[in-house]
Amino acid sequence: MDVLDKLRILSDAAKYDVSCSSSGSGRKNKKGGIGSASINGICHSWSDDGRCISLLKILMTNYCIYDCAYCVNRSSNDLERATLTPDEIVDLTINFYRRNYIEGLFLSSAIIKSPNHTMELILNVVKRLREVEGFNGYIHTKAIPHADKRIIDEIGLYVDRMSINIELPSENGLKLLAPNKTKKSILTPMGNIRNRIVETREEKKKFKYANSFVPGGQSTQLIVGATEDNDLKILKLSEGLYDGYNLKRVYYSAYVPVAKSPNLPVLDSPPVIRENRLYQADWLLRFYKFKADELLDENMPNFDLSLDPKCNWALRNIGIFPVEINRADYNTLLRVPGIGVKSARRIVAARKFGPLNYDNLKKLNIVLKRAKYFITCNGKYYGMSSMNPEKIRKKLIYGLDRNIFEKQLSLWEMGGFNDKSLHI
Amino acid sequence: MINHYIYDGSFDGLLNAIYKAYYTPDKPDKILSYEKREDNFLVKEILIDTDAKKAKKVYEAIDKKISPAALRKIYYAYLSEIDGIEMDILNFVRLGFKIGTDIELNLANEAVFKIESIYNKVSHERHRMTGLIRFKELKNNILYAEISPDYNLVGIIAPHFIKRLSNENFIIHDKKRNISVFYNKKEWIVREIKGDLNIIFNEKEEDYQNLWKMYFKSISIKEKFNPKLQRSNMPKKYWKYLIEKGG
Ligand code: SF4
Repeated sequence: MDVLDKLRILSDAAKYDVSCSSSGSGRKNKKGGIGSASINGICHSWSDDGRCISLLKILMTNYCIYDCAYCVNRSSNDLERATLTPDEIVDLTINFYRRNYIEGLFLSSAIIKSPNHTMELILNVVKRLREVEGFNGYIHTKAIPHADKRIIDEIGLYVDRMSINIELPSENGLKLLAPNKTKKSILTPMGNIRNRIVETREEKKKFKYANSFVPGGQSTQLIVGATEDNDLKILKLSEGLYDGYNLKRVYYSAYVPVAKSPNLPVLDSPPVIRENRLYQADWLLRFYKFKADELLDENMPNFDLSLDPKCNWALRNIGIFPVEINRADYNTLLRVPGIGVKSARRIVAARKFGPLNYDNLKKLNIVLKRAKYFITCNGKYYGMSSMNPEKIRKKLIYGLDRNIFEKQLSLWEMGGFNDKSLHI
Repeated sequence: MINHYIYDGSFDGLLNAIYKAYYTPDKPDKILSYEKREDNFLVKEILIDTDAKKAKKVYEAIDKKISPAALRKIYYAYLSEIDGIEMDILNFVRLGFKIGTDIELNLANEAVFKIESIYNKVSHERHRMTGLIRFKELKNNILYAEISPDYNLVGIIAPHFIKRLSNENFIIHDKKRNISVFYNKKEWIVREIKGDLNIIFNEKEEDYQNLWKMYFKSISIKEKFNPKLQRSNMPKKYWKYLIEKGG
């Protein structure tokens, strides 16, 4: 089989892994070497599904000894299989990198022979890239459940990021859909990686030339919608992973039905809006100091699909609002729907030169579409005649869902509807 | 009478215009590069000499009395080549000499806001180009890329590629402005290019392009097809040189 076919099969098999980031590592080029990593990451293209392409994301092999029900590579699936040799992976990485197609490599794999055997092969690839080719671009590899600490510790010295995917957000889910994996087989290596990261950071403080270990941190992925787990449970898990395991990122992947199994739900299409809401909430946890419990609770365990989590939170806590733009501190500003980190910083900086009015805010490029319902400028409120959460809610949903409205209009113009049927 | 300062279009020339605006009574109503000068009966044209020493003085004054960040922003604004940007730069500098480092926070001021937003646009495109540039390997192993960005940014992206491809020879060719960056593993220069380059590709070049196209196709999830999102992240104007998009 030639490399083109292998690449087709093994990138297709890797596409459901949503992590694509090349950020978090500032690895520098060395003399005679090739490549460096950019701390903020760089996107090199965007695929037809709109996702950023930053890394060459492939499986080393899609031959698997396990049989996870949600996965295309499960052993019981009848599927075209392939394995890339270390030579081929190294050559693709270097030549794609030289042409500026990619920031580096994201090497994942199904489990061939045994977890340790698979990890040894991955180690072989990353060692050659770093030591033989002098490659200093970004490398992200998978850690595989059940793999030995020894191998993970060695791979960690060469890569920028490691991830071990939890995939199913509950133990029950694992039992049902991934019977070869256990909670322990996932969390133990994750804990090991965390400990090594902390240890090497300490060593680095003492000895300048100590090796770094996974400088870009570790991440994981959760599948949304393959199990019964609600958003509260998923978000709580993420919160625990950020706080307890120092994870850099948790990725969410709307379940794409790839298999039929009595244990899997039947879906018409992947729950992408739900996935999007989880990303927004995740963002609120990491950068806006929200707690999972503030965003959801047992009475409302799932996100509202029609309105984003921050707007929803604000409407349920309408008593705190409106806040005065010229007085509210930075953290309070951050809680206003529509005001992000950049906008909050801008406001705090600009108001030092004098009080800001509504027009000043517009000039500062602050998007007021949502914010106007939750703020005052010099005591003046620009939202509605009164602060009625139900009314604001309607305004927000209508305002934000313009796209849908416009889409239907354009369909209508194309003759997809006749005018009588358009009642929105 | 309306005063037009006419400079040679270089950054040094612009700094000289700023110098002149400080030290002569004839204040400018417009500052124009020689290429953009307007023929008008009411206009008095004042030609600006490009004097390296004076340019250096202004350069250092901005760096010290305002801030290195302000200098960077002014330079990026200049690279935007937007009509009339020179007067905004002059106004920014005037204000900067009055209030110093804090100028950047004063976004409610028009000149400051304008320089800031244009700076953001140029940096944004610069960042985009670090990802979207595609090199093709020539027969003699030189890596060659074509671009036609909105802003004149070959000079500010070159250092990025020199860091990562320090051991390669490469050319980045701005087809819109007919200028190129040349790097030869040691030094780099920006040069005007006249006429067509004689380009012969490496025999393996097409293979890698095909591999990349294949990768691009198979990495996308068909069930999540979203061309609108793709276009908003990667506007069509950049597709011309993207191999995966048929460029
Ligand atoms: S072990 Fe990984 S590749 Fe193998 S079936 Fe399970 S999820 Fe798929």
